[in-house]
Parts: sequence; structure tokens; C-alpha cells
Amino acid sequence: MAEAGVDVRGEVRAFIEREFLYMHPDVELKDGDQLLALGVIDSLGFVELVDEVQSRYGIVVEDIEITEENFGSIDAISAFVGRKQEAG
Amino acid sequence: MCGLAGIVRPEPGPDVDETVLRRMASALRHRGPDGFGLALDPGAGFVSTRLAIFDIPGGWQPLQAAGSGALLVYNGEIYNHPELRAKLKREGASFSTRCDTEVLLQLLERYGTAALERLNGQFALAWWQPDERRLTMVRDRFGVRPLHYSRLADGALVFGSEAKAIFASGLLAPEPDLLGIDDTFTLWGPRAPRSAFAGVAQVPPGGIVVWERGELREERWWRPEPGPAGADGDGTAANDAHGRLEELLRDSVRLRLRADVPVGTYLSGGLDSSLVTALAREEAGAELRSFSVAFHDATYDERPHQERVARALGTIHHVVEAGHAEIAAALPTAVRHAERPLVRTAPVPLLLLAEEVRRQGITVVATGEGADELFWGYDLFKEVVLREMHARDPERATAMIDRLYPYLAGGERRGPAWRRALLEAGDPDDPLSSHASRAAATETVRALYSEPVRAAVGADPAMGRLRRELPGGFAGWGSLDRAAWLELTTPLEPHLLSAQADRVSMAHGVEGRFPFLDHRVFALAAELPASSKLAGLDDKVALRELAARLLPAEIAQRPKQPYRAPEVAPFFAPGAPGWVEDLLSCEALAASCLWDPARVEGLVRRCRAGRATGVREGMALVGVLSTQIWHHEYFGDGARPTEAETAEPRVRIDRRGGGRGPAREEAANG
Repeated sequence: MAEAGVDVRGEVRAFIEREFLYMHPDVELKDGDQLLALGVIDSLGFVELVDEVQSRYGIVVEDIEITEENFGSIDAISAFVGRKQEAG
Repeated sequence: MCGLAGIVRPEPGPDVDETVLRRMASALRHRGPDGFGLALDPGAGFVSTRLAIFDIPGGWQPLQAAGSGALLVYNGEIYNHPELRAKLKREGASFSTRCDTEVLLQLLERYGTAALERLNGQFALAWWQPDERRLTMVRDRFGVRPLHYSRLADGALVFGSEAKAIFASGLLAPEPDLLGIDDTFTLWGPRAPRSAFAGVAQVPPGGIVVWERGELREERWWRPEPGPAGADGDGTAANDAHGRLEELLRDSVRLRLRADVPVGTYLSGGLDSSLVTALAREEAGAELRSFSVAFHDATYDERPHQERVARALGTIHHVVEAGHAEIAAALPTAVRHAERPLVRTAPVPLLLLAEEVRRQGITVVATGEGADELFWGYDLFKEVVLREMHARDPERATAMIDRLYPYLAGGERRGPAWRRALLEAGDPDDPLSSHASRAAATETVRALYSEPVRAAVGADPAMGRLRRELPGGFAGWGSLDRAAWLELTTPLEPHLLSAQADRVSMAHGVEGRFPFLDHRVFALAAELPASSKLAGLDDKVALRELAARLLPAEIAQRPKQPYRAPEVAPFFAPGAPGWVEDLLSCEALAASCLWDPARVEGLVRRCRAGRATGVREGMALVGVLSTQIWHHEYFGDGARPTEAETAEPRVRIDRRGGGRGPAREEAANG
């Protein structure tokens, strides 16, 4: 189960803003925005985001799970983390 | 190999000040450490600095034509000059030197610029016809040797191998050309005729620029356009073509080892430079020297492969190790010589290597540049193949895409999102789509532009400017021919041949030579069937076939590892030089007014934390830092006046009194 009080959306947003949005100060990122399509994160940034999610939430992400369905937006990441923690 | 410069005015007066010419010579002395010469005409002046390679006692420039009084200043080599000389002699010509310069001048005098297509070489020249008050400036087919010019408000022309000679004249002050900078952050360098300086143009590769009494006109004498490719599937024809390729490459290497000074090769450990070294070893014998860059950082190091080739071929091998400290310390020198911002640190170790080559008494080195462009060696070509496959057979393309870019960080963690991003990059209907993912990665740094730069370039980005100037019929070419043309006409000249070759080797008076860029090799490669270049994902097929006979199997089959150098760590690891933080400070960024300090701060924070490990941020950092160095060197506190050359010129031609006869004085040799 996801731990009570952990704001995955907020934490992931803070991470993306800190690490990637310095190049895109005009972007107002919404939780549903597609990170790749928006150009906020490139494919290597995607890998960095996956690493961050793994270490921060103590989950293991398989290569096959690195999809836009799981990591394409803040909402998608939040849902993915929730599913993984439930399964774990 | 030399430097050349001069000033011509529309009218015979006023005369050109000799001190000005001596300052211009001084600015190019690194290109010609062996001495300089000058010529003064009414309202015109020319200088040449010389690195002596052919006819060391003779061959000083400017060279004067006996009859017409025409003058030639020239930088480069005509490799087939003995054959051209013999032909001219049969036509009745006589020669007073053994040097290729005289062959070139006599050809121009007899046949004009129609003679250029006979030349096999790498050169930049300025040919002065005093009666017409006409200066003809020419660059070789691929733009191996540089030539810049500036037309002043009064119609006068100032020209020089490098822009620094033009600035040394005092007739033009350096100012940034924002579109030239913007070209760099998409296409890896300003696209000629544009340079990184406002008001300074480059003669384009394969270009002729004629200035006559103040008026300019430009034309091209050569273009790297694809020929009618041979059909696939004809095994006999392919075997014949591969046989001709071997003969031509052997001949190209043989011609490029012609010199009256010792020669060597650069050996990266990859296929192309190993092939050149193998052919050079057969031609030059056991005295051949090979030179390699090695890195402390194993990600970039190719030492085992280099040593394997050197041992197998039996060359006298030299290695220069480039650590973080050496790369950081030498970046400002590399930028000063390149005269523009860089996107990679890779030129820096080659600057260090040229220094070692010179220390070993070698003046000429042959290298493998050009093979990846002619024989489709880059993974960029495979992206094109897989994107087209993806449209027909997405599963197969998706399964194969992980074979690309194995050397990039993050390669072990890719997954479906990475695959889709690469396979779906670019609009398939866009004729520039082959370069969409490279341009996107390079353009990351454009997000850090300051407001004034954004305003100046925003409406007209580099890809759009390029799209408007494509050759007629481009959209109808094959997709791989289009990609090859873009490689040959965008990064090759400004990045690989200039910043990473001519500028950093000539900084130490070392001349690079490029056997794959022999125009006969280009023509043959253009006619080869596609399957002799890229068969599925097997690249450089014809070259690998030749390599299988000349090199150890592991080298002949080795996948491409692009030559790269560390980009972030040298400037942020413990012990990094203090000027890095100074040049990236808010104050320094505000002073140069090219970058947005707040956005650069985000990048610097990630660099300090060791998080900027990707290609995009690496290029972004090198872009910002090199721009700051460039600004400091040319417009800021680092800019210094050039002292006039005070030595005696080896040749001094003074025709200001109107005479054309015995005015040439030549200093005693020795």
C-alpha cells in the first residue's frame, strides 16, 4: 500500500521542476501533461526520472515498464508507483 | 601549408600600410612558423606565412607570374602537382621552383578557374590580377582549408585564412553574428558563407568568390551531390567497384604521403583511421609514426584497439593521454583557434595531440575523416533505415533499435519509451527528418539564450534557414543520400574539418590530410550501390571488406565508436580551474549578454551535482562555456592587439612604383 501522507505527485513534480524545468521556465506543468511530447524531458531524462522513482519509492522498475503509459506524465507516475507499492 | 591574408582597394590608391600587413602576418604565424613573405601593389597588399612542406628552399610566397604580374597567395597542397607540372611542361610551360604553388599559378594563368577541377588537393587561395583589379578567392571541394573575407564600406576587401587576420588589420572590429552562433547550436557550426562574426564571410567549400573593383560575386565550382547509384544485387559489378575502391584508396594515400618532410597518421582505433594507417604503412614503410589520443576515463578510451593496430601494422606509436585537467586547461586555446563556440570538447585532445606530433618532428598526418560521410557509417544513417522499417514493420524496427548508440549513457536502461522517441522522431515528410533527433539534442542549449539572442534568432531557426537553401530536387533524392548530403555540408566542414582538424592542428603547425576526401573516392562512393555502404544495419560494407584483408579481424568488424571527450567532468571535478565558475557567474553571463543567467544556473547546478550525464546537457555546457570563452577572447578582457611581425620577410615584392620586373627580393636561404 502507498504510505499515508506521501504526496507522490508533489514530490515528482518538485523533482522535474528542479532537474528539468530550468530549461523551460515558460512551461506551467500540469499533472496530466505529456512530458515527452511537451519536450520537457528527453529519452535520457526519462531514464533519470525512472532511477529517481526507483530509489525514492523503493520499487524495482523493469525495462519493459519504461513506457509512456507508466512515466509519461505526473499522473501516470503517481498511478504506477501506487500499483507497484500495492503489488510489492 | 600556410596562412594567407591581404587587402585590396577598388582604386590603386591609397597604398596599404606595410605595418598593417605585418600585423596580419603575425596573427597567422602559427599556420606558418617557418617564415613569411609580403607583396605591395598600388592600393593592394598581400602576406603569406609558410609551413614548408614541398621545395623547402624555394616556394616562398607571394608568388608572382612572370608575364601578367598576377600574384598568388595560397594555403594547402595540390597532391597531383608533379603530374600537372609534367602536363604543363608538355604544353610549353617552364618553371623556376619545384613547388606546387607555381603549378597552381601557371594553371590559373592559362585556364582560369576552369583549372580547378584538375586539382586533387586541399587548399584556399587568393589570386590577384592587377590590371583587372580582380581578386579571386577559392576553397577546396570539402572546405579543408579556411578562407574569410570582409567587404568594407568603401568597397575595399580584407581577407585572411582566419578571421583573426582580418581583425589584426584594424579595419574591422569583431562583433558576434547571432545567426552564425545559432547555426552552431543546431548544425555544429556556422554554415558558410556565414561565420560567427558579423561582417566576416567565409568562402564556402567548393566556392569561388570574385572581388573586382569593389564588387563581389560568388559561385560554386564543386558540390557534393549524389551520383546515379549503381543497382543493388549485381554481384560482379559490386566486386569490380570494390576493387576500384581499393586501388583509389591506395592511390589517395600514396598522394597524401607526398611531402619533403616526415609524415605520420592519426590512429583512433576505429575502422577508418586504421585503414588509412594500414595503407600508409605499406607505402611509407617501418618509419611510419602513428599518433593516438587516450583518455583516463574508460568511457572514451580506445587505447587497447589503438595498440592492437599499431602492433599488428608495426608503426612507431605515440600516445597522448588527455585527463580532465589537460582538457580543461586547453579549452580556451582551442576556442581561440576555432574562433567560435563549440558543441563538443573533442577538438581539445587533438590540440594536445598536434603539440606532441610537432614535438616528434612530424609536420604532416593522414587521418580517417570523411569515411563515415561517404560510406554511411554513423548511427544517424541507421536511424533513417529503422524509421522507414518502422512504418512498415514496427515490431521488427523496435526490436533492432537498441543496437544503435550503444555508447551513450543510459544505454542499459532504455525501454519502450526510448525506442518510440527515436523511431518516431521527425516528420517523415520533412526532407531534413534524418537530422531531427540530432538537431533536437543539439538545440537543447537554445533554451538558455538571453532575451536579445532569442529575439534575434527566434523567428528564423537554423533548420528553417537550411530548408530554404536545399539543392534543387533534394526532396526527390533517396533518404540516405539526403542524410549523407546533410552530413557533408553541415557538420563536416565547421566541426570535423575546421574546429576538430585544421584549427587545432595548425595551432601547432601540423597539417592534416584526408585520404577519404579525395574527390575520386567521393565520386566512386557516390556511385556504389547502397548495399556496399549500408546493408541492413551493417555499415561501411565496402570498407570493411577491404579492412578484413589488411587489419586484425576485431578491428575490421569493430562497431563505430564516435570520437568523443569528457564534456562536464573536466570543468566540475575537484581541481577544475577557477575561471570556469567565473565565466559562468551571473555577472559574466550578464556582461556577454548571450545567455540567460537564471537558466544557465540550473544547468550549472546539475553539472556541480554530477547529474548532467546526458548528451544534451553535455553539449549545452560546452556550448555555454565555449561561448563565454570566445566572448572573453574576442570581445572582452582577453582581446589583445596583435603586434606587427618584425622579422625580415623571406620574400618582399614591392611594385608600388609601378614596376613589375626585378622588384622581388628574396632573402638568402638558411
